Amino acid sequence: MSATLSDDAQLIAACRRGEARAMEMLYHQFKRRVFGMAHRIVGPNDAEEVAQEVFVRVFRGLAAFRGDSALSTWIYRLTVNASLSYLARRGRRQEVGDETLADVPAAPEVSRDPGLAARIERALAELPPGYRAILVLHDVEGLSHEECAAILECRVGTCKSQLHKARARMRELLGPIGGTPQ
Amino acid sequence: MKCEDVRPKLTAYLDGELEGDRGSAVRGHLRGCEACRTAANDEAALRDGLRALPTLDAPSGMWAKIQTQLADAEIADSEKPGWRRVLARWNPQHWVTPRFALASGAVAVIFCVWAWRFTHRDGGAQVAFQLPRMPTIVTPAPAPAPETSSDDVAAEVAAVPKSTSDSYANAVAELRQLATTSRASWSDSQQKQFDAKVAELEHDIATSEEGRPRHKAYRTLIRYLERAASRDEVAFADTRATP
Repeated sequence: MSATLSDDAQLIAACRRGEARAMEMLYHQFKRRVFGMAHRIVGPNDAEEVAQEVFVRVFRGLAAFRGDSALSTWIYRLTVNASLSYLARRGRRQEVGDETLADVPAAPEVSRDPGLAARIERALAELPPGYRAILVLHDVEGLSHEECAAILECRVGTCKSQLHKARARMRELLGPIGGTPQ
Repeated sequence: MKCEDVRPKLTAYLDGELEGDRGSAVRGHLRGCEACRTAANDEAALRDGLRALPTLDAPSGMWAKIQTQLADAEIADSEKPGWRRVLARWNPQHWVTPRFALASGAVAVIFCVWAWRFTHRDGGAQVAFQLPRMPTIVTPAPAPAPETSSDDVAAEVAAVPKSTSDSYANAVAELRQLATTSRASWSDSQQKQFDAKVAELEHDIATSEEGRPRHKAYRTLIRYLERAASRDEVAFADTRATP
């Protein structure tokens, strides 16, 4: 943990000095998650634009980053906020048609239902943005409730409650999935 | 345990967050309730499906676009005036903490209390805030009554009007002297009007009853003499109106 903090601190310091190599390293360290979150919250058409905006904010805001939270938490918070703001600017509901879902790569390891990944992506796009954010952070990206709460700036209890509601809404949208009994 | 108790706990149960006998109780209910078991299976499949979604890689040209945007922003920064850069850096959230707000409020309260006390202390500040006034001759306060024995209360009371009249008379004499000095520079008609007016007011004093009526007559004469001594225009309004 301390090694990570130290690495982060060194990386941040180098980025603040404008070292191109450090900036590129930071970009490659977070690009998949930032782009993935943006992709699943705002949709495939606008994900790149939002991800670019996030990284520009990250590099321009590093000078003011005080280290109150982990660098990753701060970057994911910027990503979620930028995505939600983008959706708010664009309109409450995202228009996702079949032609855009066709661009979504299929899940390689879903054995029970090969079409489940596409169905989940489609249902995810139908969710309200807040539910989408918590599902992406917790279930897709695998972050803990504590991390999700820090990113969404809410209580852990609120985070759990939102996750429960989001999953319930997803089940309504998906219908029976047919998993194996627990 | 009933279905309505189990359903809200399914998410926590499936994520392994229910500890001790709470997890056991949910598991026990699921063994006997097909509807809840189906719901749990669906939620577990959904969770697994979400976790199995593929990792998405960023487009290959994104880093170059970000670098271009950063360069554009830095060039725009260099062209901004200095005050706009300072304004852009200013973020009140960093220093407007509850502690800072509390301290600011305390300072404001202390200032208000100080200001209130300053403006209400013996009228001192009120004098300070008054506009400068034309110097006027203040009517002297009544002279203290002659010392009498504490038993002779009636004599003391009777002496008060007399001493007040004496004080007024002294004031009139003093003002009369000042007005006479000014009188030398007046026109003949002004002098005549002044003399006539003073004679009229002195007559009023002489003919008025001792006590309040005489004091009132004295005050009328004193006011007139004050205005005349300071060449107040009001004192000669009638004269100027006369051709």
